[in-house]
Amino acid sequence: MKGKEPMRIERINNGIVIDHITAGKGIEILKLFPTEILRTKIDYASYIDSPRMGMKDIIKIENVDVNHEWLLKVALLAPDLTISVIRDAKVEEKINPTLPEVIEGIITCRNPKCVTVKETYLTSLFRVARQENGKLRQQCQFCEHIFHS
Amino acid sequence: MTESFDFKGRHIIDTEDFSTAEILHLVETADRIQEMGENALQIAKGKILATLFWEPSTRTRLSFEAAMFKLGGNVLGFSEASTTSSAKGETLADTIKTVALYADIMAMRHPLEGSALAATRYSDRPIINGGDGAHLHPSQTLGDIYTLVKERGSLDGLKIGFLGDLLFGRTIHTLVRLLSRFDVEMHFFSPEGLNIPDYVRNSLQAKGAVFTESEDMNGQLANLDVLYVTRIQKERFFSEEEYLRKKNSYRVDRELLEKAKKDILILHPLPRNEEIAQDVDDLPNAGYFRQADYGMQMRMALISKCLGLM
Repeated sequence: MKGKEPMRIERINNGIVIDHITAGKGIEILKLFPTEILRTKIDYASYIDSPRMGMKDIIKIENVDVNHEWLLKVALLAPDLTISVIRDAKVEEKINPTLPEVIEGIITCRNPKCVTVKETYLTSLFRVARQENGKLRQQCQFCEHIFHS
Repeated sequence: MTESFDFKGRHIIDTEDFSTAEILHLVETADRIQEMGENALQIAKGKILATLFWEPSTRTRLSFEAAMFKLGGNVLGFSEASTTSSAKGETLADTIKTVALYADIMAMRHPLEGSALAATRYSDRPIINGGDGAHLHPSQTLGDIYTLVKERGSLDGLKIGFLGDLLFGRTIHTLVRLLSRFDVEMHFFSPEGLNIPDYVRNSLQAKGAVFTESEDMNGQLANLDVLYVTRIQKERFFSEEEYLRKKNSYRVDRELLEKAKKDILILHPLPRNEEIAQDVDDLPNAGYFRQADYGMQMRMALISKCLGLM
C-alpha cells in the first residue's frame, strides 16, 4: 500500500481498532491472537500514511475483546499503538498499553541456551525498559541476554 | 579486619548479588580458615555437600569436593548428566528438590544459562553456582579475586589483560564485572568474533569501568601487571575448522613474555590446551596452579559461610 491512496477501512460496530502500530508490525500483532479469534472479519492496512508517525499499520477486528496478557504482548511489539474498544458503533474506551518494568511469563526468551526455554515449567522473567531511540530493551532475568524490539 | 557478614542459607549465584564489603569479608574468611590448619577439619563435620554436575568438569568439581573434605564434611553427587535421572527426563526442579533432602548444601554445574538461579526456586539449602552454560561462574571469580589479593597484595591500580575466548569464557564475564567495582584497568584481547558479549560490555560501560578491546596485545602487553588467559572451548563451536582457526590465533610463551613486565602474573582458569606453552610453568610468573589452590581455599570459605559455620 506504500505511497498509494489511503486504504479505506470500514467502520465496525463491535470490536477493537488497533491504531498507531509501528509500520510493518501489524502482521506480528495478528499472530498473537488465538486462531479461533481470527475466524472473524479483520481489516488490516500496512504502511499507510500517518501525520504523527510517517507510516503506520492499522487493524480492525470485529467481535473481539482485549485482555491484559494480550495488551502486554502488543505493547512489546509496538509501544506507540492505541486501542479503541468499539461498542454499538461508538468508542467505549481508548487504551494506551503501558509496560511494567518487570514482566512475568508472557514473553519467551530468545536465547536457545536459556534455562526457561528447556525447563518450560519455569515462568519467564524480563526487565523491560524503553530506550532513547524508542526501542524496547528486554533483559531475561535468568540468562541476562538482552533483546530489542 | 573487615566487617563481618552472616551468609547462612544464602545462595551464591552471581557475584553481583554481593556487596564489595561482603566479598572482601569472604577473602578474609578464606585467610582465616587457612590459618586454622588442621583445626579446619572440624568446621563442617557431619555436613554433606552435593556436587551436581550435568556438564563435565573435573577441576571445579574436584575443587569443591576437596574443599568440603578439608572442612571435615562429606560429599555425594554426580559428574555427568547421563548417569542421572535427567537422562530419564527428570526436570531440574525435581532433581534439586530431591537432593535438598539429602544434602546440606549444593554446588552445581549445568549447561543451561540461568539454571542455578532457577534451582534456587526449588531449594531451601544453599546452592553455589559452579557454572551455568556460558553465563556465570562465581566461585571461580571469587577464587580469582582471592588469587589477585594474595599474589599482589591488593587490587588497587592493577592493569589486567584478558586474552582468548572472551565470548563463551564465563569465568571472564563474572570476573570483569566484579573487577569493575575496583580501581583497575582492563584490556581485552580476543580473536575476531570472540570478544566480550554486549551485556558484559554494557554493564562495564554503565559502571564507568576503564577498559579497551582489541584483537592483539601490541602496545599493551608491556603495561600489564596481570595477563589472564583463557582456552578456546571446542564444545562451544559448530565446526572443527572454525575452532582450529581461532585456537591457533594466540599463544603465551617465554618469547612473548620477554616483551612484558618482568613480574607480570599469568593466570588461567584451567584446563589449558596450547594457549600457554608448558615452558612458562617454571617461571615465577606462572600463577595458574597457585590460582587453582586459592580457588579451592575460597570454596572452603563459601561452603563454611553459606552453612553458617564461620
